[in-house]
Amino acid sequence: MSATTQRLPRFAAAAAQMGAGVLAPGVELVRLGQFAQRSGIYLVLIALLLVPALWLPEYRNVLNLGQIVQQSAALAILAIGQTFVIACRMIDLSVGQLMGLIVVASCSLMEGRPEATIPAILLALAIGLAVGAINGFLNNRLRIHSLILTLGMLSILQGAIFVYTDRSVGAASPAVLRIGNGTVMGVPVTVPLVLVVAALAALLLHRTRFGLHVRVVGANEEGARRAGIDVARVKLPVFILSGVSAAIAGIILAGRLGTGYPNAGTGFELDAIVAVVLGGTPLSGGRGTILGTLAAVMVLGVTANLLNLLGMSAFIQMVVKGAIVIAAVLINQPRVLGRA
Amino acid sequence: MISVSPSLRRHAVRVLQRHGIWLVLLLLLLVSATLSDAFLRPAYLMNLVLQQTPVGITAIGVTLVMIAGGIDLSVGAIISLTAVMCAILMNGESENLPRALILTCLAGTLVGAFNGLLIAYNRVSPFILTLGTAIIVYGLTQIYSGGTASGVVSPGFREALNHRIGGIVPTMVVILLLAAACGIWIQRRTRFGRALYLIGTNPTAARLAALNLPRVTLIVYSLSGLFAALGGIALLARAGVSGTYTGRGSEFDVLAAAVLGGTTFEGGHGGIGGTIGGLLVLGLALNLVNLVGLSFYAQLIVKGAIIVAASTTYEFVRRSSASLEKPAT
Repeated sequence: MSATTQRLPRFAAAAAQMGAGVLAPGVELVRLGQFAQRSGIYLVLIALLLVPALWLPEYRNVLNLGQIVQQSAALAILAIGQTFVIACRMIDLSVGQLMGLIVVASCSLMEGRPEATIPAILLALAIGLAVGAINGFLNNRLRIHSLILTLGMLSILQGAIFVYTDRSVGAASPAVLRIGNGTVMGVPVTVPLVLVVAALAALLLHRTRFGLHVRVVGANEEGARRAGIDVARVKLPVFILSGVSAAIAGIILAGRLGTGYPNAGTGFELDAIVAVVLGGTPLSGGRGTILGTLAAVMVLGVTANLLNLLGMSAFIQMVVKGAIVIAAVLINQPRVLGRA
Repeated sequence: MISVSPSLRRHAVRVLQRHGIWLVLLLLLLVSATLSDAFLRPAYLMNLVLQQTPVGITAIGVTLVMIAGGIDLSVGAIISLTAVMCAILMNGESENLPRALILTCLAGTLVGAFNGLLIAYNRVSPFILTLGTAIIVYGLTQIYSGGTASGVVSPGFREALNHRIGGIVPTMVVILLLAAACGIWIQRRTRFGRALYLIGTNPTAARLAALNLPRVTLIVYSLSGLFAALGGIALLARAGVSGTYTGRGSEFDVLAAAVLGGTTFEGGHGGIGGTIGGLLVLGLALNLVNLVGLSFYAQLIVKGAIIVAASTTYEFVRRSSASLEKPAT
């Protein structure tokens, strides 16, 4: 009861403000700009889904949408993990190669045997957890820029993969293949998987004390420290989350590829960072949105799919993708003062 | 413990901070020499430098960007574009050579200017912006070359650049040194160079000092594009042909060299001299790994470990020198 009475005046005030906005078009424009900045990626996604549906009959097919999710599932999971890292004002460049290592390791453990599925998944999670923990530990102890630390780790992991094998090894088990490519009642298995992971991640980031601390440390590390937050104990789990997300993404990718391809993860780290930033999480930290990240992954996936349907070459697709990244960053990014 | 006067210690730390990378290089060289006589032969050492030339020339421009607190991840793509573009423009004829070189350098500079314009006038994060540029440039490279290695280099082009002056020093190494000298001159002796350090250290102060920030940003990213184009040409001269992804990943090698040399992401520190030192340390260390008999892939592991270890050392030295410079209480 008291909640409603409290909410009402606030609503009235907001309505009055909006009325004022109509009177002053400048204010209205600013508000429109802010609205576009906050929800731009969702508008782009809706436009990308609706407009082509008018011309392309394939687009009215819901199955096509499921396929796009299936193709983008690994990136989506990876980007969800990276959202925590970037919201905490850090960067994890090692996730791509980590995912590659997990694909290779789990496939060579499985060798296509059905009974090896559970051990392979456990191995994947263990590797992700361990590498994430090492990243977090070193980040806290060495106090060097996370970009440089994880760049070093990228090189180390890539070396480790190729020392182990320089060609595809092993094979995914039937169950893992089903995770990557299978459907349940017409819905790709990855759809509920991504949704569950995203929901858990959103709860963790927006509704828990840990999530709050992640954002506070990202916004102002020194301030967080002075407010009594143990910064190291926030950053360590963030890197572990990132590592575990790479493990889940690695299993999905292993299912999609069916074999342990050593270059499987190359370049994924940059795609994940692009998706997170397009989604509205600024590189300057302090804020994060899992839903935005998901929308951005879908925008990238839908664009590729659309250009495919239009018969564009892979080369033109790259140019378009780059242009989208630049356009989105121009619209979305908060302005960084100074700094070349 | 040996007692050292504080002023001497402060001096020692400062020397370490400035020239640490050269000490590391010397140490590595001594270790290498005891392991193999090859490292005492000038021709072998020059070979080592030659291998690092494309990355080295590119790193000069990127170092300037990093001094100003920026970052340029598009250089790998620019190297790829310019290497294949130069080969296509040469088309196997020597009279095409000057035109090809000029147009290639122009293309690199233009891509850099594109980065610079968007960063200067929109003040967006250079990290994501240059990443987007890199994707576009890779796409354009593919469209331009048809997706495969193409073009034929002019006769005499490779021979001239790989020719060893006096039988020892390859022309390309001389060019690398000249480019580095040019970069060091820019960073030390010009107003533009000092502006870079000021912007990197304190952008607000730079603005209050009435520096034209957009112009400096535009120029420094254009320079980075130009040096990357020169790096692409050097890569073409070494390989003779160029695929469309030849430069992929070299942006990270460039970053590693710069960071090893003491240039930081925060800007305002380091310089091109250090970057060249970092480049040589990286090259020497990887050669050493090779010599010990580990595979090429093990070099990647060593490279990663060196990057982490070196930047940790720098951070440590920086912190201890900062604490030394506080007035004694």
